[in-house]
Amino acid sequence: MSEVLNGLATGFGVALSPFNLMLVAFGCFAGTLIGALPGIGPINGVAILLPIAYGLGLPPESALILLAGIYYGAEFGGRISSILLNVPGDAGAVMTTLDGNPMARKGEAGRALSISAIASFIGGTVAVVLMTLFGPLLSKFAVAFSPSDYVALMVFAFASLASLVGANPVKTLVGASMGLMLATIGVDANTGVTRYTFGVPDLLAGIDFLIVVIGLFGMAELFHLVEQQATGKLKTLPIDSSFVKWADIVFGRWTLIRSSLIGFVIGVLPGTGASVASAVTYGTEKRIAGKSGTFGEGDVRGLMAPEAANNASAAGAMVPMLTLGIPGSGTTAILLGALLMFNIQPGPLLFTQHPEIAWGLIASMYIGNIALLIINLPLVGLFARMLTLPQHYLTPLIAILAFIGIYSIVGNPFDLFMIIGLGIFGWILRKLDFSLAPVILGFVLGSLFENNLRRALSISGGDWGILVQSWQSLFLYGLAVLVVIVPLILSRRRRA
Amino acid sequence: MADRIFAGVMLLVTLAYGWLAFFAISAPFQYDPLGPETWPQILSIVTALCFAVILLRPDTDSMQVARPTWIRLSLTVVLLLGYAELYERLGFIIATALFGTLASRMLGATWLKGFLFGAVIGVAGYLLCAELLELNLPSGLLTF
Repeated sequence: MSEVLNGLATGFGVALSPFNLMLVAFGCFAGTLIGALPGIGPINGVAILLPIAYGLGLPPESALILLAGIYYGAEFGGRISSILLNVPGDAGAVMTTLDGNPMARKGEAGRALSISAIASFIGGTVAVVLMTLFGPLLSKFAVAFSPSDYVALMVFAFASLASLVGANPVKTLVGASMGLMLATIGVDANTGVTRYTFGVPDLLAGIDFLIVVIGLFGMAELFHLVEQQATGKLKTLPIDSSFVKWADIVFGRWTLIRSSLIGFVIGVLPGTGASVASAVTYGTEKRIAGKSGTFGEGDVRGLMAPEAANNASAAGAMVPMLTLGIPGSGTTAILLGALLMFNIQPGPLLFTQHPEIAWGLIASMYIGNIALLIINLPLVGLFARMLTLPQHYLTPLIAILAFIGIYSIVGNPFDLFMIIGLGIFGWILRKLDFSLAPVILGFVLGSLFENNLRRALSISGGDWGILVQSWQSLFLYGLAVLVVIVPLILSRRRRA
Repeated sequence: MADRIFAGVMLLVTLAYGWLAFFAISAPFQYDPLGPETWPQILSIVTALCFAVILLRPDTDSMQVARPTWIRLSLTVVLLLGYAELYERLGFIIATALFGTLASRMLGATWLKGFLFGAVIGVAGYLLCAELLELNLPSGLLTF
């Protein structure tokens, strides 16, 4: 316990410096805006702003604080367009449209916005508290992991990814393995042998992480927006003066607590983030409420559940990223890649070797959640006005930001063509129902997976049996089997 | 059908990747039992199997993109390629003003508003990013 308190003291020391406070505030504001704008979600926002944050030469903890602020800020802001436009601001806010928009149509937009802001705040804060308590424990448990245990952990990560993300597990799996394949390009660090470089010197160090991220998320999103280009003008519902009442919170207290906990756990599971968390909690609350609920017609609980859950999952997703080096969602995969660019390998040792990063991030999230509540209650009208920002300015702006970010890293115009090409590829993948998050997850985890496999086999002298020798690895393989089987059984039972 | 074409093309790419892993990559000397080739070999087998499954059991029939949308998308690609090509030659301000004008015009802004948007973003973006934040952006024709 004293360790947690010491850590928090360190963390607040980092996060409360004026510069980092400014970054938290800016990240939360930009995140809310990115979340509120229909189409652009947290993953695209973080992707587009990552190279700029890198180019500014921020110290790693500050860059992470800023990018994380954008991430959970966007989960906060996604609800605004769900409620006012009936268009989800991002994937995690899809369920929010179901009850949020009917409330706004009944003339309770102000109430819906303030209730969901408070639900988001509670979800986010509960999850950060859990993160503070369990993060250090998990990292202590994982310090003892041998390379073969890490291999088992990766297998579990990809199993839960394939089982829980996307409609078609084969497409999710192949997305991840394409990411792993992309990561093999370049010089093999163990032997100095070049792989798949075809004599191109630019590829010796591998494909740049930033180029993959901006291409697959920034540029592919741009093509998606051009394709979806709405002809008519979107009309936002007016925000009235109705406001959240104490009775609303008391009425929904169990919903808030349940959804925060479920959201956190789903966030922790590798690869699954806000969209799964909000869908699961909405379904759970609907089933629990039974006939007493008016879900789909503006039930407060149907609004609270997904909002508490998607914010809780954002914090939950950071737990495995910080403690195990395995991202809990697509967006945290990008954050993980960002840390790797600063030559920091997240993992069990992060809490002891770089306390300023791990604890600084956690402390900044406490501050960020409060900042978001303040930003979102009185300033919600400002964001609502920005929703009407015409898409024909927004779309070119994404390209301009992406170009600035990529060019400013090394000043190589060839990279600009690379991101256009990857953007087209990413758009095709999306059109064919491949999700892109597994690709980036595979890309980020590629070398970790391979190196641990090779290290394990070096230890055993080539005997593959080492992979199943420790109880930790057997436990993880068991979890991997469970995570694949349980959803299958549940869906079969629902059909029967 | 779209699924099949994509999976077919990617299967060929994966097979080429696998062929290299099995027959081309090898280390002159190595200390670990797996070497640089085993991991790509495993990946190529898994990926090839997955694409083969998609090829046999596709679930997305078509991309469902209407002809005008295809035209708009192709124009976007052309504009982006032009923007990338002129980025260094004309410099950030002029290239961005041109791209901003044409792209926003294509997506529905009027010529005047599009031009204003492009010019403002070009100049303001340069001042903000290159002067204030000291990011590396090409100045091109306009030298300060």
